[in-house]
Amino acid sequence: MPDIFIAEPNNDVPPTPPREDSILEQRAKSKQKLFSEEESLSSAKNPVHLFSAFKKNPDGITFRDQEEGEKILLFVRRSFITNLKWILLGTFLAILPVFLPLLLQSFQSSLLFFPAKFYLMLGLFYYLFVAIYWHINFITWYFNIDLVTNKRIIDINFSNLVYKDIATTELSFVHDVSFSQVGAIRTFFDYGTVLIQIPGATDAFIFESTPQPENAVQILDNLIRKENEPTS
Amino acid sequence: MNPLANLLPFIQFDLFIKIGFLAVALFFIVFLAIAARQVFAMNSIVTDSSNSSFIKISAIILLILSISLFLTALAIL
Repeated sequence: MPDIFIAEPNNDVPPTPPREDSILEQRAKSKQKLFSEEESLSSAKNPVHLFSAFKKNPDGITFRDQEEGEKILLFVRRSFITNLKWILLGTFLAILPVFLPLLLQSFQSSLLFFPAKFYLMLGLFYYLFVAIYWHINFITWYFNIDLVTNKRIIDINFSNLVYKDIATTELSFVHDVSFSQVGAIRTFFDYGTVLIQIPGATDAFIFESTPQPENAVQILDNLIRKENEPTS
Repeated sequence: MNPLANLLPFIQFDLFIKIGFLAVALFFIVFLAIAARQVFAMNSIVTDSSNSSFIKISAIILLILSISLFLTALAIL
């Protein structure tokens, strides 16, 4: 039977509007893409180096009990200049044996009767001791960390190899933040003590020898204000 | 003849040195084992993805060095 009417293909028909849920899905995807791009960009921008002592919005740092959506805004260690004492002492100890033959010359009659292998072992033990001295001092500095996240403040103290103390407080509990920078060296190298006061607590949070203390206080102050703003 | 040997008539001088070195090496091993344990524990509290391996490896290297020093002392003294 012949066709009476065959509809011509209509190219002017506007495309059917996409469904609402597919739009949302697309938006979510593009947002996710944008976020991951931003994340990769920022991780390349702001990694915490081995000797970093002050980092805003650091990347690559996570901590135990970190909540979902909790972001580290400030990462603080003691100023690296505070390590100068042990670095100098360690260097002095490392180069001291160079001058040992001169010292031994004066004690030639009384000390050189030891067998050669004894001196070899003594040297090895001595340099292991120097290496341990460097290592312990470095890890003590490295693991003394203060973190400020968008939810709380974390103070991690590590000293004498066997002492570990972790204190946490929520930003809403913080009453006042201040800093002190006393002395010519502290002023020159721009580091000081940041004091975070919490009402009712026996001890205040203290960030010792923090680099850029003014900056740290400003960041904390802004966060506390935001936290304490009345929600409308 | 070692002059100190006269002061230690009942202990052979070489043996005395050997025991001294081994005791110090053992102390280093225990100390560095605690240090390595603490490094791993602290790294689990705060993890710095870019540097944590460096700290862990340095702690292990020192521990291995102390063990090898103990064995060297045992062998050559």
